[in-house]
Amino acid sequence: MKSSLEHQLKALLPRGRVLISAAQLAGYGADGLGYKNHLPDAVVIPADAQELAGFMKGAKALEVPVVMRGAGTSLSGGPVAVQGGVIVHTSALKKIREINTEGFWCEVECGVTLNDLDATLKPHGVFYPPDPSSGPVCTLGGNVASNAGGAHCFRYGVTSNYVLGVEAVMLDGSVHCFGGPAGGRGPWREDWKRFMIGSEGTLAAFTRFWLRLLPLPEKVWTFRATYPDLKTTEAAIHALVAHSSYPAAIEMLDPRGVAMVESSQMACGLPEGSFMLLVEIDGPEALVNARVPSVVELLRRAGSNDVMFSDEEALRQKLWKARKAAGGLLGQLSPAYVVQDAVIPKRALAEVLQLVYDEADAANIRAVNVFHAGDGNLHPNFLFDSRVPGELEKVELISKRLMQRVIEVGGTLSGEHGIGDDKSAYMPLVFGPDSMRLQLSVPAAFNPAHQMNPLKVFENRHFIT
Amino acid sequence: MNVLPPMRNERLFVPFLDEVDGTLCLPANATAADIHAQARAHRLRFPLLLDEAKTLREQIVATTHAPASCRFGPYCDNVLGMNWRLPSGRITRIGERVVKTTTGFDWLRFLLHSGSRHGEPVDYVLRLRPDCGFTAIARFDGDAEALRSCVSKLLHSGWMHWWDAVDFLTEAGTSFIRVMVHCVPEEASIFAQQLEHVAASASAQLTLQNDVPQALDGLPDLVVKTTPDRVIDLAAELAPGASRCVALCYSGVVHVYMNESDDLTERTQALVQPHASELYSLGGDWHSRRLPATPPTITESAWLNTLDQAIHAAAGSDGVGE
Repeated sequence: MKSSLEHQLKALLPRGRVLISAAQLAGYGADGLGYKNHLPDAVVIPADAQELAGFMKGAKALEVPVVMRGAGTSLSGGPVAVQGGVIVHTSALKKIREINTEGFWCEVECGVTLNDLDATLKPHGVFYPPDPSSGPVCTLGGNVASNAGGAHCFRYGVTSNYVLGVEAVMLDGSVHCFGGPAGGRGPWREDWKRFMIGSEGTLAAFTRFWLRLLPLPEKVWTFRATYPDLKTTEAAIHALVAHSSYPAAIEMLDPRGVAMVESSQMACGLPEGSFMLLVEIDGPEALVNARVPSVVELLRRAGSNDVMFSDEEALRQKLWKARKAAGGLLGQLSPAYVVQDAVIPKRALAEVLQLVYDEADAANIRAVNVFHAGDGNLHPNFLFDSRVPGELEKVELISKRLMQRVIEVGGTLSGEHGIGDDKSAYMPLVFGPDSMRLQLSVPAAFNPAHQMNPLKVFENRHFIT
Repeated sequence: MNVLPPMRNERLFVPFLDEVDGTLCLPANATAADIHAQARAHRLRFPLLLDEAKTLREQIVATTHAPASCRFGPYCDNVLGMNWRLPSGRITRIGERVVKTTTGFDWLRFLLHSGSRHGEPVDYVLRLRPDCGFTAIARFDGDAEALRSCVSKLLHSGWMHWWDAVDFLTEAGTSFIRVMVHCVPEEASIFAQQLEHVAASASAQLTLQNDVPQALDGLPDLVVKTTPDRVIDLAAELAPGASRCVALCYSGVVHVYMNESDDLTERTQALVQPHASELYSLGGDWHSRRLPATPPTITESAWLNTLDQAIHAAAGSDGVGE
């Protein structure tokens, strides 16, 4: 079967690469989640957008699942071939085609990495705001597919706020532009790009995007404050979200996260048992400088006697150190971890965090919380060893109870990571019969056999040949 | 992992105001007064208002953007959720009450401006913003070059994030720039200095009105979406056939206001038709509450039919509130 597939794939991609040996496929079995491994039958690397479109035209006849993949940094199991089939790796589609500063837009191919785009835009005095922490390697295709966010979403928003247009290739090989530099519908009656953004590779292959840009802020101030308890931390968060400085970022690290950082080589002197808030404001120099005293006063009034702040790049990076180190340390501390991505109304923060602690402690699973507090976007990280029988099951049970409570308090399953196959089992918690029917009608319109990324987003999406 | 409780009901929104998150759920037929009555007590505001008397639904049907979209984005970034009445009469929940979600396919943004083919909104969940207590409106007058220079200086700097609106208005042969500022009173002088700097460097005349209500333009008859660099030219080209044009400079949107007459439909059609081809090539569009919706293309008719089957399908019991 493999040699037949290889033969067909090589016919579809005359200039691209076809990977088929076990050694070549080994790196494509998992994404950022790590602990789930599903090897694809093959990986193809189209040489350019035209070849990708050509591949899609012939993909239907292959009668195997097709899974799009950028850098594979997803944290939801999205770009993984759970049902086998072919992974389409978009790494060769990495052209930044146009930057139009007068029109505040750029046109990029799907394989461009986020930080490459940022670096290219910077000399033009503009930037693209979404900033997931995987920026050095993650691709814009993956960002659009998962509606990625980042630390500065509180003011700037997520990917869907910045996508003006999507070029999509359907399984019949047809190529459609949904929107474009102007960000409207184009000649369509409906705004189809809205379904494409965040669709996690279940509807079409994306080749290029038109993205909205903003002028770079002139000045940035970073603040770090620690608090003795959750109550005072919450008070600070609630005051910050209503503050006239409109912070760009409001990030939080809980005492377990603080302990993790302080017991590592990345220690930066955070008080034991403290909650850490990281806040950033930006804007024109005259305006943002005038706002600094009121932000400091707010952080102190909420209960911190440990407020540090700076506008100097080196010092700002020091203030960010604990927040940025946390992600990497998780991987060092544990063979595997699951990071959840629920968003909750902020008034439920203390209750839901307590639930995380109680459930994790009862199951003897380590839990560390480092997250986007301004958005109410929680990232509880559950550390476990998938080789120890029963540990993964414990984490899944905790996750299930957490998600049930998140929905009960009015929250949602995912703010920026996507559903993938990691959270698909929880979708019936969110959608009732009518809304579930609407949800499933979207892949039914574009990908009725579920050949594109089966078993993702909704767990009953099986590809049946 | 596969054992979960039975599928929930539709989890409909019930009216609420969450002053911590700055979110407000209220009927789609609410007006600005209804929003103010709830939001102001908590020093919150909904900046994307266009008309004091028209309902929210009418405003959202009329256009995708408001002047304050310059700072806060279009309506679809500021309406977080809806209770939506399907053509069958059943009501379902669309979207969330939290500001971030990537849970499932984005029906909220798809439906918000899609007209009545797929049903209609019953309630909206709005994202509110801090009411800082001070609003100023600046007017820049000058020749065409000076006005363009003003817009460039206003948008191409870090200040762009902080203007509530940067609009190019043309009416009765006169054009000017309008900038709306919303800030705490202590910052008013900092904004005023920057506006004076822009006026001086662009050789334009500045008139500043302090502590005034937000300007409300009313509902446009025609809305045209292009790129920000084309929007002033487009407004100037549309202006002779209109009573007033308001170009939302960063959003790339022109709101066109027409004189009432028996042939308003035909005039609106005639005004925009010459621009349709260029708009489409840029991924732009146009629509008018005075005109029927654009008919679907052949390709999208098939997609729409699939969606329609789900939308029109009967289901079990009615959804009930949370």
